Amino acid sequence: MGLLDKLSGWLGLRKKEVNVLCLGLDNSGKTTIINQLKPSNTAAQEIVPTIGFNIEKFKSSSLSFTVFDMSGQSRYRSLWEHYYKESNAIIFVIDSSDKLRMVVAKEELDNFLSHEDICNKKIPVLFFANKTDLRDALSSVKVSQMLCLENIKDKPWHICASNAIKGEGLQEGLDWLQGNFPFLSSYRDNGENGSQN
Amino acid sequence: MSSVDSSGDGGKWLDAHYDPVAGLYTFSSCIDLADLSGDRESRLVVGDLGTGSSGMKLKVYRGTALISENSLLDLPAGLVAFFMDLHEPRIPAVAVASGPCIYVYKNLRPYFKFTLPSLDINPLEQDVWQQAREGQIDPVMLKEMLESIRKKADVPLSVRSLRFLSLESDEVDEFVQLYKQQPIRRQTVITCIGTLKKSTADEDGISCLVIGTENSDVFILDPEAFTILCKMSLPTVPTIMDVTGQFDVEFRITVACRNGSIYILRRESEKPKYCIELSSHPVGLVRVGKNMVVGCTDESLQGFTQKGKKLWKIILPAPVTTMAAMDLPTRGLQAVLVGLANCQVHLYRDKNLLSTIKTPDTVTSICFGRYGREDGTLIMTTKGGGLMVKILKRTAVFDDMDSTPGPPLAQSVRLNVPKKTKLYVDQTLRERENGLAMHRAFHMDLSRTRVAAARAYVKALESSLTPMSSSLSKPLKMNAVVQGLGPSFKLTLNIQNTASCRPIMNLAINFLYDDNLYRIRNPYMKIPLLVPGLIYPVETFVECTSDKGISDIIKVFVLHEEKSSPLLTAHINMPVSEGLVLS
Repeated sequence: MGLLDKLSGWLGLRKKEVNVLCLGLDNSGKTTIINQLKPSNTAAQEIVPTIGFNIEKFKSSSLSFTVFDMSGQSRYRSLWEHYYKESNAIIFVIDSSDKLRMVVAKEELDNFLSHEDICNKKIPVLFFANKTDLRDALSSVKVSQMLCLENIKDKPWHICASNAIKGEGLQEGLDWLQGNFPFLSSYRDNGENGSQN
Repeated sequence: MSSVDSSGDGGKWLDAHYDPVAGLYTFSSCIDLADLSGDRESRLVVGDLGTGSSGMKLKVYRGTALISENSLLDLPAGLVAFFMDLHEPRIPAVAVASGPCIYVYKNLRPYFKFTLPSLDINPLEQDVWQQAREGQIDPVMLKEMLESIRKKADVPLSVRSLRFLSLESDEVDEFVQLYKQQPIRRQTVITCIGTLKKSTADEDGISCLVIGTENSDVFILDPEAFTILCKMSLPTVPTIMDVTGQFDVEFRITVACRNGSIYILRRESEKPKYCIELSSHPVGLVRVGKNMVVGCTDESLQGFTQKGKKLWKIILPAPVTTMAAMDLPTRGLQAVLVGLANCQVHLYRDKNLLSTIKTPDTVTSICFGRYGREDGTLIMTTKGGGLMVKILKRTAVFDDMDSTPGPPLAQSVRLNVPKKTKLYVDQTLRERENGLAMHRAFHMDLSRTRVAAARAYVKALESSLTPMSSSLSKPLKMNAVVQGLGPSFKLTLNIQNTASCRPIMNLAINFLYDDNLYRIRNPYMKIPLLVPGLIYPVETFVECTSDKGISDIIKVFVLHEEKSSPLLTAHINMPVSEGLVLS
C-alpha cells in the first residue's frame, strides 16, 4: 500500500469500501431495494427472482458499497452463511404485508444471529420493513415486535419502513448505516476490514 | 420459540397462524391449495359445511385473511382444484361436489354446473303416481301400493316416494297435493371426488374429474365438455378416493368403500382389478408413492402395495379423525399425516413415527402443500372451527424413530461375508464328487496311525522304555523331579515298589546323557531293598557344563543285576540352565 493511498485515505479523498450482505425471504424486495440505491443510469428496469446471488456496487457520499444481494428462496438460503464472515454490515428486508411468513423471517433471522461468524461480531444490522404502501401491511413497530428485535443487544440495529418501488425510506436507512460502521468512529484504516470492536 | 417447543414436535414446525374462531368446519376432502390468481401464490380453498344444514360456503384464504366467500346450495361432499383448459395465465378452476351436482367455479365465479344423469324409474311407481295425479287413488291407497313396491321391486323407489312413506298421516295429503304434478326423478348423489391428469403428467396439465356416487358407480368426466368419458361399477358405495396416472395412458383409482373394502380400478376394466378386505372400516386413504396407507376405525394404520398385498399394521394411540399425504419432493420427503382424536397429529413414514404435533383441539381436516410462497405448509382445521397454519422449518430433519416392536435394526444389517473364492468352489466340488474315496483314504490313514501307535507302545513295553515296569515279578513305578535353576540341578528320583507284599532287591540306577553338556556326580547308583508301598527318594546332582543355554534329555534306567534289559526307563527333559545364561 503506497503512501499516496494512505494519504488519500486520511484526507478522505478515497472512499472506504464496505461489504454489505442483503438478506431476507423471497419476494421481500431485496433486489428492488438494491436497484433503487444504484445510480439511475445503471438500474435495471425489470426485477426478476434472484438465482443464487448478485453483486452490486454503488457509492454514497463517504462510502463505496459492495452489496451481496442474496436470493431469498428457501433452496438458496443455505448460501447465506458463507458470506457472513466477509460482511461489514447486514441489510435484512422483510415483506411487512406477509403476516403468515413473519415466523419464517424470524426463524431465518434467529439462525443468522446465532451463527458463529455473526454472534461475536459487532456489525450493524439494518432492517427494512418493506412494502409499507400495501393496504394490509404491518407498521415497522409491529414488524420489530414480531421479529423480537428488542432482543438484539450486542449489535447496533435500526428498522426503517420502506417502499422500495418508489424508493421511500431507503435513504434514511442508508444514512443510519453510514453512521454506524465501527471503523468510521475511530481512525481510518485501509486494511481488509474494520471489525475492531 | 417457546410456543414451538411446547407443541411437542421437536421444533420442526413454525406456528405461522392460529385462529381458534375462524368458523371453518370442514373435512380433508373439502380442502385444497391452488394458485387461483396466477401470481404464484397459492390460496387455500375450503368448502365450509357451516352448521350442517345452513351456512355452507366456498371460502378462499390468502395468507391469514379470508378474501372470498361464495354461498353453496348444498353440503359439499368434496372439493378439488383442477386445470380444465389450456388458457394463459394458468388458473385452475374449483369443482365443488354437492348432492347430484358438480359446481365449477372459475376466477371464483360460478362457471358451470354438471348434474349426474338421472337413474331409471320403477314403472310401477310411475303408474301409481300417475293414478294419484288423476285422482283415482287416495293418499292412503298410494302409501299402501308404494309400500308393496318398495318391498318387491329391484329398482328402488325415488327419493320423493321414500319421503312420502316416512311422513306422518296428517302430512300426506299436503305432500301429495304439492308434488303430484311434478314428474318423478331418481337421482344419485356424489360421495367423493378426485382428479386425474388427462394426457400429461405436468403439474398444470388438464385434469379429468373422477367422481364416486351413492349408486356405486365411478365416473370420469371430460374437463372441457363435461361428458362422461368412462363409467365403472363397484360392488358397493365408494367413500374415499385416490387417483393416480393419466387417463390416456394408464391410471389407477383406489377407492375405500362403505363395506370396509378397498377396490382398485384400472384403465380398460369396468370392474375392480383388486380388492382388499379390511378388518374394520376405513377412515382415511393416502397413497405414498406406490403404496397405500389406510387408517381404520379399529385405531390402526395399515400399509398395502398397489396390488393389495398387506405390508404392515400398527396400532395408534387414539381413533383416526383424518389423514393427508405430506409430499415435499424438494427435500425428498414423503410421509402420511394422521389426525387423531386425542388432539395430536402424527407423521408417519411407512410404519415409523417421525414426529408428533400437539394441537389445541381435535383436527378434522389436514392439507399439506404450497401455501402463499411457502412450499412446506401444513394447514389444519379443528373440530371447533379453528384454522391452524404451520410451516416446516428449512432446517428440520426427520429421523426414523423405530418405536414399533419387531426385529432390531441390527438384524437387517448384512454381514460382510467374504466372497466364495474359486479355490473354495473347486474344493467343495471335489469334496462332493469324491466323498467316498476321501472317506476311505481317511480311514486307511487312521488305521495306519493306530497300528503305528500300537507298535510303538508294544515296543516301548518290550524294551521297558516306560517309567512303569511291566514285569509281573518286579512291578516298579518311578517319577523324577528336577530342582534348581542351574548350572547345578538336584535330580530326585522317587521309586516305589507297587507289589502287594514282595520286596525287590538288587536294583541299580544308571544315567545316559550327553557328557558334553552334563556332569552327574554318581552316574551309577545302587538301590536298597524296596519295601512294597513306600516311596524311596534317590538323589543326585547334575551339573550343566555348557554355557550356550541349551538343554538335553537325561535318560534314567532302572536295572536289575541279573538282566541285560532295563526294568524301566524315564526320560527327563532338563530345564535350560539359567545361571549360565544370566552370567
